[in-house]
Amino acid sequence: MNRRSEFLLLLSRMNWLMLAAVLALMTIGIIFIHSATHVREDVTSGLYQKQILWALAGLGAYVAATLFDYRKLRDAAWWIYAMALILLVAVLFFGTRIYGARRWLMFFGTGIQPSELGKLAVIVLAACLLSPPAGKFERLPPLGWMLFLAGVPMLLVLKEPDLGSALVYAPVMLAMLFVAGSAARPLVILVLSGLLLVFLVLGVVALPEKIGMSPEKQEKFFRAIHLTEYQRDRIEVFLDPSRDPMGTGWNKRQSEISVGSGGLTGKGFRKGTQNILGFLPRTVAPTDFIFSVIAEETGFAGAMTVIGLHGVLALCGLYSAMAARDKMGRLLCVGVVTMVFTHAFVNMAMTIGLLPIVGIPLPLVSYGGTFMVITLSALGLVQSVHVRRPGV
Amino acid sequence: MVAHEVIPLELKRIRGILVIMVLMLLVLAGVLFQLQVARSEEFEQSLRRQSLRRVRLPATRGRILDRSGGRLADNQPCYCLAFYLEDIRKPGRWQNTVDEVLRRIKSLEPVVGRRSLVGAEEIRMHIRKRLPLPLVAWRSLDPAALARLAEATVDLSGTDIYIEPMRVYPGGEKAAHLLGYVGSAVLPDGVQAEYQYRLPEVEGKSGIERHFNDVLSGEAGGRLVRINAAGFKYSEAREREPDPGADVILSLDGRIQELAEVAIRGVPGAVVVLDPSNGDVLALASSPAFSPGSFVPSLRPEVWEGLLKSPEKPLSNRAVTELYAPGSIFKPVVALAGLASGKWSAEMTVHCPGYYLLGGYRLRCWNPNGHGTVNLRKAIEQSCNAYFAALGMQCGEQAIGRMAMEFGLGRKTGIALDREPDGLVPTPEWKKKTLGDKWRPGDTCNFSIGQGALSVTPLQMAVVASVLANGGDVFAPRLVLEVRGRDGAVLTNYPPVLAGRVAVRPESMQVVRRGMHDVIMAPTGTGGKARIAGIEMAGKTGTAEYGTSGNRRKHGWMIAFAPYENPRVAVAMVVDEAVSGGTTVAPRLHALMDGIFHPEGAGG
Repeated sequence: MNRRSEFLLLLSRMNWLMLAAVLALMTIGIIFIHSATHVREDVTSGLYQKQILWALAGLGAYVAATLFDYRKLRDAAWWIYAMALILLVAVLFFGTRIYGARRWLMFFGTGIQPSELGKLAVIVLAACLLSPPAGKFERLPPLGWMLFLAGVPMLLVLKEPDLGSALVYAPVMLAMLFVAGSAARPLVILVLSGLLLVFLVLGVVALPEKIGMSPEKQEKFFRAIHLTEYQRDRIEVFLDPSRDPMGTGWNKRQSEISVGSGGLTGKGFRKGTQNILGFLPRTVAPTDFIFSVIAEETGFAGAMTVIGLHGVLALCGLYSAMAARDKMGRLLCVGVVTMVFTHAFVNMAMTIGLLPIVGIPLPLVSYGGTFMVITLSALGLVQSVHVRRPGV
Repeated sequence: MVAHEVIPLELKRIRGILVIMVLMLLVLAGVLFQLQVARSEEFEQSLRRQSLRRVRLPATRGRILDRSGGRLADNQPCYCLAFYLEDIRKPGRWQNTVDEVLRRIKSLEPVVGRRSLVGAEEIRMHIRKRLPLPLVAWRSLDPAALARLAEATVDLSGTDIYIEPMRVYPGGEKAAHLLGYVGSAVLPDGVQAEYQYRLPEVEGKSGIERHFNDVLSGEAGGRLVRINAAGFKYSEAREREPDPGADVILSLDGRIQELAEVAIRGVPGAVVVLDPSNGDVLALASSPAFSPGSFVPSLRPEVWEGLLKSPEKPLSNRAVTELYAPGSIFKPVVALAGLASGKWSAEMTVHCPGYYLLGGYRLRCWNPNGHGTVNLRKAIEQSCNAYFAALGMQCGEQAIGRMAMEFGLGRKTGIALDREPDGLVPTPEWKKKTLGDKWRPGDTCNFSIGQGALSVTPLQMAVVASVLANGGDVFAPRLVLEVRGRDGAVLTNYPPVLAGRVAVRPESMQVVRRGMHDVIMAPTGTGGKARIAGIEMAGKTGTAEYGTSGNRRKHGWMIAFAPYENPRVAVAMVVDEAVSGGTTVAPRLHALMDGIFHPEGAGG
């Protein structure tokens, strides 16, 4: 069989439903990026055109990843991981500062976000380490070692600071450990202590004022525990949105109004007044808050479509995981699906006021080049696993 | 087999994950349903209550022009250096931003070459109250400073040159009292409440600037700014363009105005030049003057104090708002009262021994040697007090008062300026009421020579001169000819107003005019020093005493018109501290008339 027909055969075994969901989400993204920016007269009104280019580049990566045999990653996993770490360190020193955080590395005029690459690198490495090479006995590496491997890039991302992206590492690693067969009890303890930590932080933020500390003392206290005012504000608003309805809670509140006023069927394409009038901050409308634009303009029906498509994506990915030929493929799929799903869930949940605003994009829909290419590459790896499944 | 047991566990766990994910999506769907379907109405309402802020945009103020279009008050761009605090905003507490702005001000001070208008407190105030507006740190930058800024290497992000219209008065002190000055506008509470933010705005505080403020200031526009409660601006949607103010065209003749100001320069006094054919105010000057430009953008307190406290009252417009005793320049009116009463004729003579004997009391004539026997014409020429006292006693204070009122004395002329007093034409009733005393013959004598309680403004006396010049028509002084829109279209036209006519026989008017002619043209006339080459003039001098008996001071007066036949100008001039009208005022009147009729110094 020659190479070309081999490729065609592989492609024909693709998970077509998943591809359809991917294409649908990307199309929705491009349409509503246009809607979110069309009222602007500056260069950003061309964002959707740039997004189309990124989408095409991403689809190229998707097909390439599909054709690439994921099993070859076993040799490259450490290298990819090392490269991601180098980039994550580099961004702390050479990164471009935007809104007070260094998240971007500039290459030939294009910004890339190493934190996105880092997630994929951890998934690949974990998939390799948690599955035995051919002919070896099943023996999981120690839990602490795995947590350390995920923890290093996570802390580097946290340092940028990019809290949202950093948090995604946790569920991804936990899901992979869980599926890999790690004992359930330590994982449950881990999850519970994680949640406990979150509540503790929330408590720490809210407590000083509750017990009547003076503003100066509060200031000192928060400096001592390394919590910036910006982070504190966001957490406080999440705890009590009515506390400052027009201050820091602005984005959250506006986003809720956007979504809420959309009603059952929305206000129509490019008719979202929240967006047109600029109440929804224009800098975030096409990126982190694209979901609220969609929800406002297409209503409950449109928003459910997006939720449904992400559900289909997760379903297809996990189906591929179950159908995978080996454990590595299975873990790869679980990792990628968890990553994409976590992004989607957190993004939509913060848009509708269910979670604090942490600033992570909606996969395949939000504007953003690096994340688009990384997501499509990752989903391409899922297809790579899928097309090589046994028994067809 | 181990693998056989392991794989079902993995699959089970994957299914577990799937279940968790589906549950999470269901939660999302549920909350979304709550928001979008169940509570949709509530959010609709919130949407309508979005936070819009209105910024008031003052309109460009209209110009004030003289009758030939010369600019008396205009606007010019004033270059300000402003900070846009939203762009400079530093993360963290606002104090960081304040520090940053202060740091920038410090680095810009050597470039601009001046200290900034704002300090930490102003910056904090600006952040609290008007964050979306530019914070002006320097006003009126000169071209050199602008050039230095363009080449400076300092950080200019969030900094911009911002142009404010500034009121300018190209003539300096020219027509200062007429134009008035502007100051920060005080908006009525209702208007205030409509706008959350205002840009600096001025309003007229005196003169034409004040009287025509509504016309000049135009219609302020408004801009809608969307902000969040932290005060940040999201976008702007201009609501309404401001409608620029209209131009006010004055009747003033720029050249004559300058001559008038020169004529009374250096002494406290006033001069008014009217066109007797229609009442146009050709010139109106008060001395000392002030510079209206010094009120822009704001007056330094010490300058204001100086203006207020100066004994010479530079802010007061003597020509319109100050009351004087007219003295002898009132005599033509008295003469006409006598002639119109039928109790006196032009041919009747009086012997003047240097005083007029009233009961046992001597009313002194200004010439202690006496004028001998004089008729009306000669009495006017010589300004003989004895003659007019006799005339006044004959026709009575009622007749004089009536004639004075016919000439427009005792009431506002209605000129388009504020704070004009009525003046006073005394009557027995008035005396009874205010002084509680009855009218005595001495009062009539004083009245007859323009002394006593009679009080007039220079403008009123210019009207008197104008009536004598045109033979009886009382025109209200017309200061504003028209109001023109920015496109040049006439919005309002102010035609001459004939307020009344003095009812005397032409012969009576003629003889009084002849007497006034002699005042200036006869070799012995009291106003001979006002004479100019080639033009026959008529006028009347006057010297009015005022002050306490220990501190007697004199106003010197002259009214005049020229040319004698078909007069083109009627003038009233007063100098506060004078020797006499003939000595102090006549030379100044000469300078004015010479300038008017002999431009470029062609005459003598």
